Amino acid sequence: MKEISLRVNGEERSAEIHEEMRLLDLLRDALHLTGTKEGCGEGECGACTVIMEGKTVNSCMVMAFQAEGKEIITIEGMATKDKLHPIQRAFLEKGAVQCGFCIPGMVLSAKVLLDENPIPTRDEIREGISGNLCRCTGYNKIVDAIETAAGYLNTGGDSNA
Amino acid sequence: MAPLSVYRGAELQQVLKLLQDHQGKVCIIAGGTDIILKLREKKLEPEVLLDISGINELKGISEYSKQLADTGLDGLKRITEQTMIKIGAGVTFSEIAKSPFFSQNLKGLADAALSVGSPQIRNAATIGGNICNASPAADIIPVLLALEAEAIVRSREKEETMSLQGFILDKGSVKLLPNQLLCSIAFSSLKENQSLGFAKLGLRKALAISRIAVAAFVEVGDNAFKNVRLASGACGKIPKREYEVEACLEGKAINDGSIEAAAELFKQVLKERLRGRSGAEYKGEAVKGVFKEALRKALGYQNI
Repeated sequence: MKEISLRVNGEERSAEIHEEMRLLDLLRDALHLTGTKEGCGEGECGACTVIMEGKTVNSCMVMAFQAEGKEIITIEGMATKDKLHPIQRAFLEKGAVQCGFCIPGMVLSAKVLLDENPIPTRDEIREGISGNLCRCTGYNKIVDAIETAAGYLNTGGDSNA
Repeated sequence: MAPLSVYRGAELQQVLKLLQDHQGKVCIIAGGTDIILKLREKKLEPEVLLDISGINELKGISEYSKQLADTGLDGLKRITEQTMIKIGAGVTFSEIAKSPFFSQNLKGLADAALSVGSPQIRNAATIGGNICNASPAADIIPVLLALEAEAIVRSREKEETMSLQGFILDKGSVKLLPNQLLCSIAFSSLKENQSLGFAKLGLRKALAISRIAVAAFVEVGDNAFKNVRLASGACGKIPKREYEVEACLEGKAINDGSIEAAAELFKQVLKERLRGRSGAEYKGEAVKGVFKEALRKALGYQNI
């Protein structure tokens, strides 16, 4: 066992980890942040995507001890107490969510994409979410939602305006 | 099996000392995208897992000048300066894909980096890891072979430079002693009439392991191929140079006829190499297209 500390969703957290644990296990089992999903467990599906130091990673492909001192954002860090993040709102409005299993990863990939490229083309959106597999939607509504979210974010994040 | 202990290396000397002191018991992890699967499948059961992803000395892409001793036609020895480009072993594929070093003539390197995995994989996976994993389908190795890159390896005592071709011994095996670490990759920067192209055939656009990859380095003069270096991936046990096909292009005028003849030869070479294996027929045919795409891209990066 080993004690590590890291920043998760803006808060300093520390946790006891087993040496064999992945970041995914640390988030879900030690910190009880179960919004991050385990799909394939081998870096193919992107369901376990989190943002580490500003970049998306598959949390099944990072060992927990490697995250010591790192800044992590999970899906739980996107909404504020009473308000969804504009990307989450756009996903709901555009019907981009069906079973929902891939959505936490999709939303986080969309966040990094829009942070780096505020006005992406549809092709750039598809490239940005190319590491996130969805078995339900056929992707079109997810791409629609990310386009809509880009609009919200570029006008100050207020969808009611 | 002893319980796993894990360390995060903070600086290079400390990592080299750990490798020296615990020879053979240490497994290096950087991006983790290959090694974590092997650990979970118990294909690897190291006593110590040593993370090198936070080591600054293994980061960064830079240029430096190397002095080469050369004997001229007049028999006199001269020292010439060659600009080299060095990529730290800990540089990720995302960093390579975005680097201003790998635009224009060297864009083939960025293309190869971008063809790897997905954004998430490219953000974590490193060039050093891709090389040391020595997969037959490693995407970055063919471009580095076409550039005649060298591997710079360090132990606590000394630094060694060897050709990348000599460094990769076999599928999954590299020439690295238990006390050594691959620290960087270096190759000569390109002249205006030289360029690099890369093309890959995968089963889909993203997250595709190469079925065939081809890297082409070309040097052009008087509308002819002055110098060509080709390397393939997923066309044998390890990525390799394709000398026969290179020789077929060398000195030939750049036109459809010379390129088609080389493509046909590539097909024969590959069918012979893969004889008796399923997919030999398909790969032989398909390599023609992948080869022509890599060559066309290389020429395109020089506006030819």
